[in-house]
Amino acid sequence: MRFLRRRKRRACVVGLDGVPFHLLKRLADTSVMPRTAGIIAEGGLRQMRAALPPVSSVSWSSFMTGANPAEHGIFGFTDVAPDSYQLRFPTFGDLAVPTFWDRLGESGLRCTVINQPATYPARRMPGAIVSGFVALQLANSVWPAEHLPALERIGYRIDVDSQKARQDPDGLLDDLEATLETRRQAARYFWERERWGYFQVVVTGTDRLHHFLWSAVEQEDDPRHDRAMSYYRAVDGFIGELWDWFHKEQPAGQEGEGFVLLSDHGFTGVRQDVRLNAWLRESGYLHYAKDDPTSVADIAPGTRAFALDPGRIHVNVKGRFGRGCVEPEDARELRDEIAGRLLQLECDGERAIARVFTREEIFEGHKLDLAPDLVAISRNGFDLKGTTKGSEVCADTHFQGMHTWEDAFVWSRLPVPDEPEIADLAGGIVEWLCG
Amino acid sequence: MAKGFTLWFTGLSASGKSTLAERVRDILLERGMNVEVLDGDVVRQNLSKGLGFSKEDRDINIRRIGFVCNLLTRNDVVAIGAAISPYKAIRDENRRLIGRFVVVYCKCDLDTLKERDPKGLYEKALQGEIKNFTGVSDPYEPPENAEVVVDTAKEDIEASVQKIIATLEQMSYIPATDGRGYSEEEEESIKQRLRDLGYI
Repeated sequence: MRFLRRRKRRACVVGLDGVPFHLLKRLADTSVMPRTAGIIAEGGLRQMRAALPPVSSVSWSSFMTGANPAEHGIFGFTDVAPDSYQLRFPTFGDLAVPTFWDRLGESGLRCTVINQPATYPARRMPGAIVSGFVALQLANSVWPAEHLPALERIGYRIDVDSQKARQDPDGLLDDLEATLETRRQAARYFWERERWGYFQVVVTGTDRLHHFLWSAVEQEDDPRHDRAMSYYRAVDGFIGELWDWFHKEQPAGQEGEGFVLLSDHGFTGVRQDVRLNAWLRESGYLHYAKDDPTSVADIAPGTRAFALDPGRIHVNVKGRFGRGCVEPEDARELRDEIAGRLLQLECDGERAIARVFTREEIFEGHKLDLAPDLVAISRNGFDLKGTTKGSEVCADTHFQGMHTWEDAFVWSRLPVPDEPEIADLAGGIVEWLCG
Repeated sequence: MAKGFTLWFTGLSASGKSTLAERVRDILLERGMNVEVLDGDVVRQNLSKGLGFSKEDRDINIRRIGFVCNLLTRNDVVAIGAAISPYKAIRDENRRLIGRFVVVYCKCDLDTLKERDPKGLYEKALQGEIKNFTGVSDPYEPPENAEVVVDTAKEDIEASVQKIIATLEQMSYIPATDGRGYSEEEEESIKQRLRDLGYI
């Protein structure tokens, strides 16, 4: 007599960067994404909150750690050095807590992760990883390096050329399709080659499409609408392929178990940029030491607050920043004053700010000292910026889309809270695989 | 915290082990690390003088190099071993002994090696003038668990070196190029990417 071997559980997570709940639902309902429609048909699709502020680096870091930004330490694509105020760019190495992939590794499960933002440079992990945005060189994006030649043979592309996207929208669409195809080939390669228990691939082209060509996604009369839908059909085909590969090896009766679809934030159309540093300057909180500031490093003494992308406001507290001038005991009062005034900010005759959170409301963890004092969330159509360029608070933009906070999505048969946030998902995945 | 480790280059004669070992040594020295190279050819002239090329003698030679690498590694030195080391069992023995052990497999096809043949050894081996010549008349067991595989027939030296350095950085055996994680040039590239998407 032989002992029955318990079949090991596996999980496959497909990330669609910047795809809002309402859009995914509509594309599924209108047959643009038939495979996705089939997957979500029996329920389980939920609207989900992104991390705050709602940018990929923060949200995906919250996903991969299951932690609050004040625990994992990633608050944006940029930070400032406290002494010099020079911008710095957090790396994967700045993540202050382990990923749930590390935890799975400790349980003997190998993970394959492809193209998740905020994982550059690639580092040793239990399995294999290919870094996503802001990955620079492919050689530093792949762990272990033995996979590099295969990715080079595929002609793997980390990202589309966003620099050209604005001038050449049709070129962007070509680039999106080609990049997705190399992502698909890389997924196939790792699927077959790696002995994984957890597999994750993130499509970031959706976010790029929305930034530059949101109207092509939303407006049926847009000249590029058909091509935008064609891209979504290709994304749907990829999701379908992953579903099929996954279920080839799943026991009967477990359809969909362990398969997760999610996005890291939502998207909507943009009408105007709202330059928070210009507003802080106009409101008397910020002064520059020169006429043409290039970053917050150019603030003058006496500056009481400054902003970083996308809606982060730091009070320039003495002892926390090199040129800090606000006494720590006055910081809270100043912060509340700024929050109150910010809510009155108008662009285009409309209130631009929907909510302003204080750090204590949304952040909790040992990195709280690094967190912004305020995080503002705009109303749809007004994109918050931390640029130091320009003196106009409300300005036109060449982008068509902007991130939203409350309109990400998740589809999963694993337990998910009623009002999920992206950091909630890690626990359920680990529990499913190791519990 | 331990700083030492052993970087072990394995591959057929003329596959580029010594060249890469020297390049990597120079980079690590520039980064302020203590580095020693134990090159198979050099070791055979002193530490292993008198040993031949039978399997037994080869095993003794590789064990000796492994022994010295272990001493260096545990004293926070980066030990670079560059030897054909054809047999998996002895390489694995060294891995077990040393622990912080990174294998670089210098892969190269025989035709390219014959073309290179800087010491004329392949020609002599093929004519039967040299016995027990690895890859011709003696086996080579490619590593299955190498941390880095460089294909020196296809890659240029710099690409292979970058791959090795990147792996050592990823394994946290050596610090990244810059304390903040990015060089100035890389920061400029990142800024541009973030600007392109309206993130700064």
